Amino acid sequence: MVVKKELLKFQGHNHFRQRLVLATLSGKSIRIQNIRTDDQEHTGLTEISYTGTSLTYHPGVISGGAINHDCPKTRAIGYFLEPLVALAPFCKTPLSLTLNGITNDNIDVSVDSIRTVLLPQLQRFGVSDGIELKINKRGAVPNGGGQVTFTCPIVKQLKPVQFTDSGLIKRIRGIAYCTRMSPQMANRVVESARGILTRYIPDVYIYTDVYKGNESGASPGYALSLVAESTTDALISTECAYQPRKKAKLQEFDQSKMFQESVNPVAEEEGLSSMLANDYNFPTPEDLGVRTARQLLTEIKKGGTVDTISQWLNLLFITLGPEDVGKIRVGALSPFTIQYLRDLKTFFGTTFKLNPDKETRTVVLTSVGVGFTNINKKVT
Amino acid sequence: MEQSAPKAHRARNAGPKAEKKKKHTKNLEKNNPKAFAPKSGRNAERTARRNMDLGQKKLHVPQVDRSADEPPPIIVAVVGPPGTGKTTLIKSLVKRFTKHNLTEINGPVTVVSGKTRRLTFIECNNDINSMVDIGKVADLVLLLIDASYGFEMETFEFLNILQSHGFPKVMGVLTHLDKFKDSKRLRKTKKVLKQRFWTEIYQGAKLFYLSGLINGRYPKNEIMNLSRFISVMKFRPLIWRNTHPYMLADRMEDLTDPEKVRVEPKCDRTVSLYGYLRGTNLKANSKVHIPGVGDLSIENISILPDPCPIPDKTRKLLNEKHKLIYAPMSDVGGIMYDKDAVYINVPGAFTKSQNPDEEVGYGEKMVQNLQDASQTLEETMKGSTLQIFNSSKPLANLEEESDYESDMEEDFQEEDEEDSDDEDETDYESEVEEVDANDKRNRRKVRKPVVENENEEEKIEYADSDSDMGLDDDEEDPFEDDDEEVDIGIDGTLHWKENLIEQAEKRFNSTKRVNLMDLVYNTDYMPYDNPESEEYEDVDDSDLFKVKKVDNHKIKSLAFVDTCKVEVPDELLAEWEDEDTLDELASRFFIKGTEEKTGENDEEGDFEDLEKQDETQEEQQEEELTLEEQRDINAKRKEELKKKFDAQYDGEEDEDEGKTFYETQKEELARQQQMNREEFEGDSPEVRAQIEGYRAGTYVRIVFKNMPCEFVELFNPEYPVIVGGLLASEEQFGFLQVRIKKHRWGRKILKTNDPLIFSLGWRRFQTMPLYSLFSEATRNRMLKYTPEHMHCLATFYGPITPQNTGFCCLQSVSERKEAFRIAATGVVLDIDRTSEVVKKLKLTGTPYKVFKNTAFVKDMFTSSLEVAKMEGAAIRTVSGIRGQVKKALPKPEGYFRATFEDKILMSDIIFLRAWYPVKPKKYYNPVTSLLLQEKTKWKGMRTNGQIRREENLKLEQNKDSFYKPIERKTRRFNKLQIPKSLASSLPFATKPKLLSKRNKPSLLTRRAVVKDAEEKKVTHFINQLNTVRNEKAAKAKVKNAEKRAEYIKKKKAVEEMDVMKRKERAKEYYKQEGQKRAREAASAGGRPAKKAKKQ
Repeated sequence: MVVKKELLKFQGHNHFRQRLVLATLSGKSIRIQNIRTDDQEHTGLTEISYTGTSLTYHPGVISGGAINHDCPKTRAIGYFLEPLVALAPFCKTPLSLTLNGITNDNIDVSVDSIRTVLLPQLQRFGVSDGIELKINKRGAVPNGGGQVTFTCPIVKQLKPVQFTDSGLIKRIRGIAYCTRMSPQMANRVVESARGILTRYIPDVYIYTDVYKGNESGASPGYALSLVAESTTDALISTECAYQPRKKAKLQEFDQSKMFQESVNPVAEEEGLSSMLANDYNFPTPEDLGVRTARQLLTEIKKGGTVDTISQWLNLLFITLGPEDVGKIRVGALSPFTIQYLRDLKTFFGTTFKLNPDKETRTVVLTSVGVGFTNINKKVT
Repeated sequence: MEQSAPKAHRARNAGPKAEKKKKHTKNLEKNNPKAFAPKSGRNAERTARRNMDLGQKKLHVPQVDRSADEPPPIIVAVVGPPGTGKTTLIKSLVKRFTKHNLTEINGPVTVVSGKTRRLTFIECNNDINSMVDIGKVADLVLLLIDASYGFEMETFEFLNILQSHGFPKVMGVLTHLDKFKDSKRLRKTKKVLKQRFWTEIYQGAKLFYLSGLINGRYPKNEIMNLSRFISVMKFRPLIWRNTHPYMLADRMEDLTDPEKVRVEPKCDRTVSLYGYLRGTNLKANSKVHIPGVGDLSIENISILPDPCPIPDKTRKLLNEKHKLIYAPMSDVGGIMYDKDAVYINVPGAFTKSQNPDEEVGYGEKMVQNLQDASQTLEETMKGSTLQIFNSSKPLANLEEESDYESDMEEDFQEEDEEDSDDEDETDYESEVEEVDANDKRNRRKVRKPVVENENEEEKIEYADSDSDMGLDDDEEDPFEDDDEEVDIGIDGTLHWKENLIEQAEKRFNSTKRVNLMDLVYNTDYMPYDNPESEEYEDVDDSDLFKVKKVDNHKIKSLAFVDTCKVEVPDELLAEWEDEDTLDELASRFFIKGTEEKTGENDEEGDFEDLEKQDETQEEQQEEELTLEEQRDINAKRKEELKKKFDAQYDGEEDEDEGKTFYETQKEELARQQQMNREEFEGDSPEVRAQIEGYRAGTYVRIVFKNMPCEFVELFNPEYPVIVGGLLASEEQFGFLQVRIKKHRWGRKILKTNDPLIFSLGWRRFQTMPLYSLFSEATRNRMLKYTPEHMHCLATFYGPITPQNTGFCCLQSVSERKEAFRIAATGVVLDIDRTSEVVKKLKLTGTPYKVFKNTAFVKDMFTSSLEVAKMEGAAIRTVSGIRGQVKKALPKPEGYFRATFEDKILMSDIIFLRAWYPVKPKKYYNPVTSLLLQEKTKWKGMRTNGQIRREENLKLEQNKDSFYKPIERKTRRFNKLQIPKSLASSLPFATKPKLLSKRNKPSLLTRRAVVKDAEEKKVTHFINQLNTVRNEKAAKAKVKNAEKRAEYIKKKKAVEEMDVMKRKERAKEYYKQEGQKRAREAASAGGRPAKKAKKQ
C-alpha cells in the first residue's frame, strides 16, 4: 500500500519565511503558488522556477554547522536571522552562522532586538548554554555592510513554558548605535529617551555603541533599541532606526532631493519602504529618542509577558514543546501572529486557546505541545 | 591436656520461651535507639553507605505521567505457547470479575475490576506478528508456562520482543502443575523454572503457580489471588507509549456503501475502529499506523459513551450491577453492537410470526407495521406535506435547510405581528432594557479590542461575560450592518419595532458566539493597520462591527511584507504628550518600597525605603493610634526587619531547602501534570479535542477511508488491531543509522543487503540494512557480515523514528526455520537523508619507467580524467615506499607521473587505497499480515540464497574471483659486472675475488686416515656398545607396540558397551514419551490441531 506524500498548498508571497520554517520542522512538503502574480515589476521569485511564481519545497535534515551568507540589501539581516533562530536549536550540529548585510532598519527586527529580546527568551525553553549573537560590524540602510555571528547550541527537546505573570517593569536597558556619523548623535538619542523614561524608574541605562572605521559599514545611520525588563523577566522591547528621506516627500525640496540622490543612487520610494506608514527621517536625533521611548510606553501599556516581536517565537516553541500545557500572555495579537497561529494549525494541527483577560486587556494563549524532538541530533 | 571451651548457650527458637522473647523484640529498636547505635564507626559508615546505595538504586529518571484522570483499561495480555491454558485463564479471570461464562474469546475483553480500575484481557496467539504487536501495547503480560514441559522458544522470543520495545510488567504463570505426581519433583521443577524466569526478567520477579483444572477452570482461590495481584499492580510509564497515542481496537465495522461493494467488490473500504484511547492525546488530523495494514490518515474521530464505565467513586463496594463486561467481538450473551447502539437478540413478542391469522395486540401490531415499511423515514418525509394555517400553502419537500429556516422565519414573523398588539403594555420594560444596552455601549467605548490596531476594516469585541456576547441580539453579531445602529435614535426614541422581522431573523441565525478563537481560526480576518483612517480615537460600536471592504493595495502596512514588527502610527504616539496618560502608566513600573513585595527578583531591595515609607504613613496615623497599637505595629515591623536581615545574613533561604535534586524534579513534573489536567477542565469537549486532542481513556470511534478491502474481508478478531499514532516527523522516510547486535541465540550472522524484517516503533517492515563499523574514528566502513558477538552499525531506509528507540529484527515472520527467530536487536542512533558508508577500493598499477624519485605508472586508470580526480592522492608500493599521484601524461590515456620517497623497482606493484561510498537500497516493505487470509503466511522479499534454494539455481560465480594456483618463478639475478678498469683501480679488499670452481676434491679431503692399535681398540669397543643399545631399544619397541594394541582393544570394547547402553536408554525414553503424547492427545480430544503444533 502506497501512501501518497501530502503537499500543503499556499497562495501568495506573504508569510513566506514562516511557511518554510514550519514545513522544515514538521517535515511536510509545501507548494506556494501565485507569488506576486499581479505585480508587474517584481513578479515572483525570479530564481526559483520558469515563471518564478510558484515553488515546491521538500524539507530534509537541518544540518547546521558553519555557514556564511551575504544577505541582499532589500531586506535587513533580521529577516533572515529570525527564522534561523527558530531552526537553530534543532540542527544536527550546532550552528555557527555569519550573516552580512543591513543590521538595523525599520521594516525588519534589528539584530539588537534579536540579541537582547529573542535570544534570552530561548533560555526559558531550555536553549541556554552557548547561545550568542555577536555584532561584528554595523550596516545601515541602504548599503548595509554589517556583519553578525550567531552561534546556537542544539537541544533534544524544549521545555514547557507557562509564563503569564507579567510583573512590573524593574529596569530598562537600551542600545543606541551610530555609524559614519558624529558619535554625539548616539548621546543625544540616549539623552532624550532617558528624559522620558526616568520619570517612571531610575534604573534606565542605554548603552551607546559607536562603530568606527572598518566596522562601521557602508552607510551612515543611527538607531535606538529599548528593552524593558520586568520583575518576572518579561522582556518588552521596541526600536527605531533613522532612515533617509523618501522620494515622494523630496519632491517639495528640490535642493535636498539632488543631495539625496547623489548620496543614494538607489531610489528609495519603490519596494518595501513604501509600506512604511511613518517617516523615519528625523530632523534631530532627539526626535528618534523620544519616538522610541514613546513606542516603548505604548508597548508596555499593551501589557503581557511577551512583546510583539517575540510572540511568534513563543507560540512556535510552545507548539514544539513536550505534550504538556504551555501558555503565555500577550498584550495584543499582531497580524503576523494571527497568521502564525493559522499556519501552526495547518502544519502541526495545534490550536491555541485564546483567553481574553478583560482586566488587564491582554490575551492568554494556551496550548499543548506536539512532543517535537530534535530528530536530527545524533546520539552515541 | 587442654581444657575444651565451655559449650555455648543456644537460645530457644521455638516454644513458649521463644514466643515470650519475640514479643519484646518487636519495637525494641524504636524504643531504645541508643542500644542499637552502631558500635564501630566503620560499620556505621558501611551500613550508611549501603543504605545510600540502595536508595540510589531505587531511583528512576522521573517522567511526566501523561495518563488521564480517568485512565483507560489496563491491557492484560495473556501470552504463551499453544496448549498452556491461555483461554482457560482468561475465562477464569472473567468469571471471577464479572460472573460471566465466556464461550469463546475473540478480540479484547474489557471488564470492570474495581472501583477505579478496568482491565482489558487479550489473548496472544502463536503468531510472531501478534506477539510483536501485543508486546507494544500490553501494560501487563501474563506469561503462561507449561511447567510439565518447561520453557519454550516462544516465551524467550516474546521476552526479547518486550525488551526491545520497552519492558512492561511481566508476571509468570506456571500451569499444568497437576501433572506432577511426585511432590519432590514438582518442587524441584518449580525452583528450576523460577530461577530461569528470574534470570530472564529480574531477580524476584513474580511467578504464579496454577495447579490443575476444576470444571474446566482454574481453582477459585488461585484465580482470586491472581486477580488481586493484577488489581493492585502499579505501572511505570514507558517512553514510547508516553509520547505516542494509540488504541487497541476492540471492534471493527465496515461503513462502506453496500451498493458500492456490490458493484466493485475490491474497492477501498471505509472502516470504523472502536476502542479506548491510550498514551498521549490523539489529534484529530494526525496520521496513524496500523501494524499489519500500513499508514492511514484519520477521517473522523467521535467520542462515544464509555461501554464499560468506572462506577462513580462514592460507593464503597463494587455493586454487581457495575461489574460490566464488554467484549463486542466475542459473543457475550447474544448482544450485538452497532454504530451507536447495542441490540439484544431476543426472539420475543414483536417478532413477526409465520402465521398471519394470529391475534396480536395493538402495540405489537404497530411495531409489526413499522417492520413492513418499504421506505426510509427520510424518503417518506420528502413526500409528505404540512399545512400550518388554513389559508397558507401546504409546506412540502423540505430539501434544504435554508428553505426550512425561511419557513420558520415566516412563522416567526406572523407570530410577532400577532404579538405586536400587546407590545404597548410592555413598552416600559423594554425601555429599561434599552437603557441597559446603552450603558453597555458607553462602557464599551472605553474598552479596546484585543487585536492590534483598532482602526481596521473589522472590529472585534470583548465579552464581558458569555451571556453578554451570545444572547443580547444587539451585541452578539459582530458583523452587523450600519443600519442596525439606527435603532436607538439620538433623541432616544425607539425604532426597534420597525424592523422586527430582520431582528427575528438575526436572532435565529446568530446562535453562535463569536469569540477570539473563532475569529483567528475560522475566518480569514486580518487586522492590517491603516494609519490613514481617522476613526482611531472614537472607537465606538458603529465601527466595531463594520465590515469594510478595503482595497489591500492602498494600505500601508508592515503586515504585507512578512515581518513581525508592527508600526505604531504617529497619532497614537501623540497621546504620550499628555501628562495624565503618562501618569496612568506609572502603576506598571516597579519602584522599590512603594510596591507590595515582589519576591526574590528584588535583589537590590534594601529597607531604607521601606522604613521611610512606613514612617510617613505612621506620621499621618500616629494621632489616631493608641500606645498599644503603636507598639504592636513596631513589633511587627521589627520582626519583619529581623526576618529580612536573617534571610540576607544566612543566605537566601529557599523553600526547596532539604530537598534533593530528584525530589525537586519530581515536584516540578507533578506540578506540570496537575496543570495539564486542570487547564482545560472547564472547556467543552469540542474545544478540548481541538486544543489538546482526544484524551486517553475516552472511548472513541475512528473512521478510516481507503482501507484495503482485504482488511475487512479477511478480518479475524483473534489478531489484534492496533491504531498507533505517529508524531509529525514520523510520517517521513529517510536513512536510519542504528546500533545493532546479532542475537547471541541466532544461528547465523547477518549479511549486508539481505532483507530483514524490523519491528521499530509501531511498524513492522522489511528493509535491506547495510552493516558498517566506525573504524579509525574517521569513516564508517561497510561490513559484509555482522560481527559475531559485537555491536555494529546498520544503515537502512525506513520510517523516521526518534533516536534511542529500540527495535528487534526477524528474518521471516512466516515459517519457522530457526529455533530462535529474533535475529538481532538494537537502538536507533541517527537519522539522515544521506548515508556515508564506504568500502575500501584498491587501485593497482605498475611502473613503466622509473627515474630517481619519479616513476611513470600505467594500468591504474583508464583516462586522464580519472587521474585528474585523484591528483595528489597517496600511493604506495608493496615494499612500502610511499608516494603521490602527480599528473596525467598526455600520451597513453590513463598513464600518469608519480613521485616517491625513494626509488622504486620496475617490478613493484603500486596501489592507491581509496574509499568508495556505498548507498543502502531504498527498500521499505511494510509487513501487511492483517491483509492476508492466513495471517501467518506473509512473505517478503527473499534473499539470494533463498531464491537459489527454492528455484534450484546454481550460484553464478565470477571467473575472476576464483583462486588460481600461484606461480612463483624463481628470480634470477645477473652476475655483478664490474668493468675491468674500475676493478683494477679498486683497493685489494674490495676487488672482486675471481676464483673458479674446483673440479677435483681438495688434498685435505682426499688424505687417508691411519689409526694405531689403541685407537682401533677404542673404536671397536664403542661400536660394540652401540650395537647392544640398539638391540635393546628394538626389543622395547616391539613390546610397547604389543601393549598398546592390547589397550586399544580393551578400550574399544568398553566404548561399544557404552553406546549399546545409551541406545537402549534412549529407546526406552522415546517409548515412554510416545506413550505420554498419545495419552495427552487422547485426553485433549477436542483440540488436537492446537496441540499438534507443539513438537
